Amino acid sequence: MTLFHFFNCAILTFGPHAVYYSATPLSEYDTLGTSVKAAVVYLATALVKLVCLATFLQVSETEVFDPYQEALKAMIGFIDVAGLYFALAQLTHRNISQNHKFQAVGLGWAFADSVLHRLAPLWVGARGLEFTWDYVLQGLEANANLVFTISLAALGSLMWLRKNKPKTLIPIIYTCAVIIATMPSITSYLRRVMGWHFPKVVGFELMTSLVMAFISCQLFILCQRPSL
Amino acid sequence: MADDKKPKHRPAASSMVFASTYPLLALILVLIACVDLCDAATVVDVYRLIQYDISGVPFGSRFSSLNHHAASLSFQRGADLSRSVLILPLRELDLGFLQDYVSQKQSLGGLLILLPETLRPGGSVISESQGFRKLLAQLENLLVHGNLPFPVYFAFENKETDAMLADVKKNDALGQQATATTGGYKLVISVSEPRKIASPTITNIQGWLPGSRAEGDSNQLPTIAIVASYDTFGAAPALSVGSDSNGSGVVALLEVARLFSTLYSNPKTRGRYNLLFALTSGGPYNYEGTQKWLKSLDQRMRESIDYAICLNSVGSWDNELLVHVSKPPDNAYIKQIFEGFSNVAEDLGFQVALKHKKINISNSRVAWEHEQFSRLRVTAATLSGLPTPPELLESAGSLSDTRQLVGEDAIIKGVKLVAESLARHIYGHQRKDIKIFADDSSLAVNPFNVRSWLDLLSQTPRVAPFLSKGEPLIMALKKELEDYTAEVSVQHESLDGIFTFYDSTKASLNIYQVASVTFDLLLLLVLGSYLIVLFSFLVITTRGVDDLISLFRRPPSRKVKMV
Repeated sequence: MTLFHFFNCAILTFGPHAVYYSATPLSEYDTLGTSVKAAVVYLATALVKLVCLATFLQVSETEVFDPYQEALKAMIGFIDVAGLYFALAQLTHRNISQNHKFQAVGLGWAFADSVLHRLAPLWVGARGLEFTWDYVLQGLEANANLVFTISLAALGSLMWLRKNKPKTLIPIIYTCAVIIATMPSITSYLRRVMGWHFPKVVGFELMTSLVMAFISCQLFILCQRPSL
Repeated sequence: MADDKKPKHRPAASSMVFASTYPLLALILVLIACVDLCDAATVVDVYRLIQYDISGVPFGSRFSSLNHHAASLSFQRGADLSRSVLILPLRELDLGFLQDYVSQKQSLGGLLILLPETLRPGGSVISESQGFRKLLAQLENLLVHGNLPFPVYFAFENKETDAMLADVKKNDALGQQATATTGGYKLVISVSEPRKIASPTITNIQGWLPGSRAEGDSNQLPTIAIVASYDTFGAAPALSVGSDSNGSGVVALLEVARLFSTLYSNPKTRGRYNLLFALTSGGPYNYEGTQKWLKSLDQRMRESIDYAICLNSVGSWDNELLVHVSKPPDNAYIKQIFEGFSNVAEDLGFQVALKHKKINISNSRVAWEHEQFSRLRVTAATLSGLPTPPELLESAGSLSDTRQLVGEDAIIKGVKLVAESLARHIYGHQRKDIKIFADDSSLAVNPFNVRSWLDLLSQTPRVAPFLSKGEPLIMALKKELEDYTAEVSVQHESLDGIFTFYDSTKASLNIYQVASVTFDLLLLLVLGSYLIVLFSFLVITTRGVDDLISLFRRPPSRKVKMV
């Protein structure tokens, strides 16, 4: 019955992406191409990040939180943001509204992220006889990651694609984007320094993802008002 | 125009794309084939019960591979255990229950017996209560002489097994026995089925220390033989180290050899007797090795043997060492030997007693090693701490026979007894109050030698069918005898006769914590409803409630429009 468990965890990890695509108007406007392009850009970004990590980072034997190493990892994490910028701003998409563009890019990005990071451990681990909660938690983390990515894409589109923004909102937009972009560093800090276990970390991620989604949604609506 | 070209391009392009995905498909197939990548949370070393036949009658545990759920003794009475592995810690063993199970031939998926960590060979010497040694002996007796159609394994308790057992007991007490639908622990041992060991070899090692002939004397010098069997037999062959039976005998023989080699190295102190030291195998099987070794000896050599001393379990006695003989006690030679022993024993401060057991020629059972000598008309006696002869396949290296059972002092006293009485006989100093191997002399018994050999033997399982010809222990014993004696020869024989053995003595047990099918179904239900809720939520927020409702309603308006 372990293939059953694999199937369960797979639909938890990858189901929401498919549901998101089919439930929202994205499917009506056939934005699959945008998502695929975003996934490819994610792949390229991941490769660049890997090379940078391998070159600059020292692998520590213990699970010690080294601030210098974490700062370096956070900086390399900003390559992610650069990749997202490239996918949002530089790639030519068909004529789809900005509203749908960021959603499609975010969806493609998050799906590629889930596949690359979570499919292999799932395939190797969830099929064994031994039962652990790890893969269910990993699936929940994938959900949180989807929300984060879409929020980041929304904020990114606000930052780079929308020209007239109310001045007061700009710092909030940037702070939120920075928080979302440094989420990996925050979670690793929580896990190593504060000693939180995986379920707690995943719960924290889910909560912050919902909060961030709400905030970025509000920001998006607020920024949409003055446009004519 | 562009549309015309497209259909032509597509087939060629698609076939090319298809062809290029073949290596990718192959790679994916290879990955899928790597199914067995699961690693268990816990892996424990387990040791199988011995499996053997006597004249075709099967004994011991007849199976080796295991793949069942775990159960403990707290299960509900009458529950079906044929697809469960019963976990029995030794401390809570209910021998009556097990006897019933075995005698009624009820089916059991498997049996796992957890032994306390203190019984592990090579562990630190901690003295604990002797309470369960008797229980262990009875358990071994039951298992070794029974025919068990399920795998039986021994393991040592550790934290993980304790935690697992506590969990299993809790679940069993609640009435939820672990099966495929209720989850629990699954124990898996994946080994191939046991096969017969084709022709097991027994190896005898003999060392020859020649005496010095007097001037002008052309007669053959008389010989004295010291013999000990070094192999063991126990319920778990991989744990059968036999510290007392007969590790103590081997250690005593080696120490006596060392003392006499020192004496004989100087031609002036070389005695007028040859000394023959033999380490024989096949002891638990009616001393078959000893018989074969004796028969292989040259007849003249055999006839020159004055007498032979066999050493058996000399490590755990306190005040009285027993001399077992098969010739009647009023035999002149026996009297001489016994008097020599008792004189020395008096000096050393303990007692020896003589015990006589007649040989029954029609009975093939050989109770003591000296009986093999007696059957070939050589005077022999066995020096032992055991008052009665052990039964067939008993007291030959059982699970409780570990290093803690043996006292070095007992062995040292035994060595002194043998060496002094031999020396007094060889040099003609009977009844004289001379201590040749006194402490603090250059011929003193070396306790460190005794201890180190005893420690080594207590960590090496020595069941003869599982020892190969070039086994490191056999090489070590041979080398040791080579240091002490002039000529060493190794004799390989095959253990034929009524015993047949099967391999597979050691395995790794994987303990998996599995979830039940109901859990998986429940999880599927939860996830399904989550995805449906997510879908509805997204449709409502992005497209409106009407869209959601319209998904479930067939569009009737189109028909109207067409008309």
